[in-house]
Amino acid sequence: MTADVLLDVQELQVQFRTERGMVRAVDGLSYSVARGEAVAVVGESGSGKSVGARSLLGLLPKTASITGGQAIFDGNDLVGMPERAMRAIRGRRIGMVFQNAMEAMSPTITLERQLTEHLIWHGVCSKAEARERAIRALGEVGIPEPERRIRMYPFQLSGGMRQRAMIAMATAIEPDLLIADEPTTAVDVTVQRQILELLKAQKERGTGIIMITHDLGVARFFCDTAVVMYAGQVVERGPMAEFIECPAHPYARGLLGSTIDVGDRHRKLSVIPGSPVDVANRPSGCPFRTRCALADADRCTHAQSLESVSPGRVAACWRSHDHV
Amino acid sequence: MSDALVRLNGVSKVFRGRGGAVTAVDDVDLEVRRGETVGLVGESGSGKSTVARLVMGLQPVSAGTVEFDGCPMTSIKGRQAASFRRRAQMIFQNPFGSLLPHFTAAANVAEPLRLHRVVDAAAGQVRARELLELVGLPPRSAELYPHQFSGGQQQRIAIARALALEPELLVCDEPTSALDVSVQAQILSLLERLKDELGLTMLFISHHLGVVEKLADTVAVMSRGRIVEQGPAEALFEQPRHPYTRQLLAAVLPVRGEPVPLPEDPWRPEDDDGVRMIEVGPGHRARIGAAEQPQAVR
Repeated sequence: MTADVLLDVQELQVQFRTERGMVRAVDGLSYSVARGEAVAVVGESGSGKSVGARSLLGLLPKTASITGGQAIFDGNDLVGMPERAMRAIRGRRIGMVFQNAMEAMSPTITLERQLTEHLIWHGVCSKAEARERAIRALGEVGIPEPERRIRMYPFQLSGGMRQRAMIAMATAIEPDLLIADEPTTAVDVTVQRQILELLKAQKERGTGIIMITHDLGVARFFCDTAVVMYAGQVVERGPMAEFIECPAHPYARGLLGSTIDVGDRHRKLSVIPGSPVDVANRPSGCPFRTRCALADADRCTHAQSLESVSPGRVAACWRSHDHV
Repeated sequence: MSDALVRLNGVSKVFRGRGGAVTAVDDVDLEVRRGETVGLVGESGSGKSTVARLVMGLQPVSAGTVEFDGCPMTSIKGRQAASFRRRAQMIFQNPFGSLLPHFTAAANVAEPLRLHRVVDAAAGQVRARELLELVGLPPRSAELYPHQFSGGQQQRIAIARALALEPELLVCDEPTSALDVSVQAQILSLLERLKDELGLTMLFISHHLGVVEKLADTVAVMSRGRIVEQGPAEALFEQPRHPYTRQLLAAVLPVRGEPVPLPEDPWRPEDDDGVRMIEVGPGHRARIGAAEQPQAVR
């Protein structure tokens, strides 16, 4: 582990209490984020990608609990951290950007109050300076006429502008780490590109970023490292370029093959049969074996651990080496 | 008889509300020929879904005409309307919202057959099961309810229901946008197969350029209610002529291949005011001034 590591998550386990009993939504999530590094956590719905990140900040519903593992941030374990200590980290040292700014911001409070309150509460600046600093933050994320717009309510802004305002709120405070949960899923492609450029500027300033996304194009454009999740488990982890070039895990390969780019008119789509597995009914052994063309009745019914496939790269499939 | 199944001539749609009038669709000309898939792309608010609703007759046009099989929609009334609805069907973005939750999968698929009195109940059930099989659902799924299916399977049921009346036109409004990547690929493969097997005519609406390119024969790009460029998919994606089409293509982040740098001076919808569509290639038209027309392509 290098000195630059901001966050080190090891074997994180998150369970949900449901009518059908305890469900392991995240089952052994490990990765680390260094200063200025962007880590993409990719996967489909129900893969646990979002739960895994939110659990770090204690943002889970009451029915969920972390049942194992650790997440070391600046020498302290976020898992089991008392709420008081967490408050000094959440929003201050670890910022968060959500998919839907409308849900993340209060609809009845102006941008000015939301931004300045945040700055003052975390002791970043005095009341007197807060307004000016908030206006500057809005200007930095490309909101035109920030002096006028700061008096507006979130619903008075377009979707793209709201998303920018939320990024301004998260970054004005200069966090060490930023968790971005599908930050561009609800916006149009042209706005998406602008928002990613904003986040890129943050990253260049040394902020570590965890980007949760189902969009491999976004992950590839923005992130250095890929963490691929399936049914609550990491199936592959490694440098982004290598993952895109030759994914090692059959699920990762299927996911890439299913992704459609412009220019794919004559490429035959590779289709993964079946639907993403429900974590409540996860099969024994490899969770992907029920959809995997390479599944072997003897080997895949046993749990697959993450094994090194090349330097810096791991995959949870006994056949990974065949493909790398 | 012309081979155009649907033809829009100078179609506009204005919504009037407390905030004033909004022109959602502005003087659109569009043709969907038999056996062809027309893709309609654009960002949110471009008017692409409104075009779909106008084509389906779900809303009246404010100006212009929509013709279905040579017959203007405004004149379609009563018995003719019922027959039109048999000939044109639609699938939506949210499959769960479009299915009847208290009906089984088979009953959902058989419902249009019952409503249009095509076959009796027993034959309807048999047909529904055949259709569910056609869209790749296992036989045991017939008796399950929509909530017992995944999103992708629900969309398959919605497709089976839309096909029950053997429509000539299938309008798909963002059919894969709510689905996971792996499921989206399955549904697109299904639509591709059905298109070939049944010779469907489709109007396919999506914000996803790659998806439209994959499925459509002809593509129209919309922005602020106007079509800015339309033409054969190959030509439009390989040689986009309108600055907005180029901008849209550049904004897409590819998984394979390198992203294109964004244009430094973004196009604004006002740039097109007063600019007419001109022919830029065979069947390929764009809303660009004659000055931008390079000599070589003329």
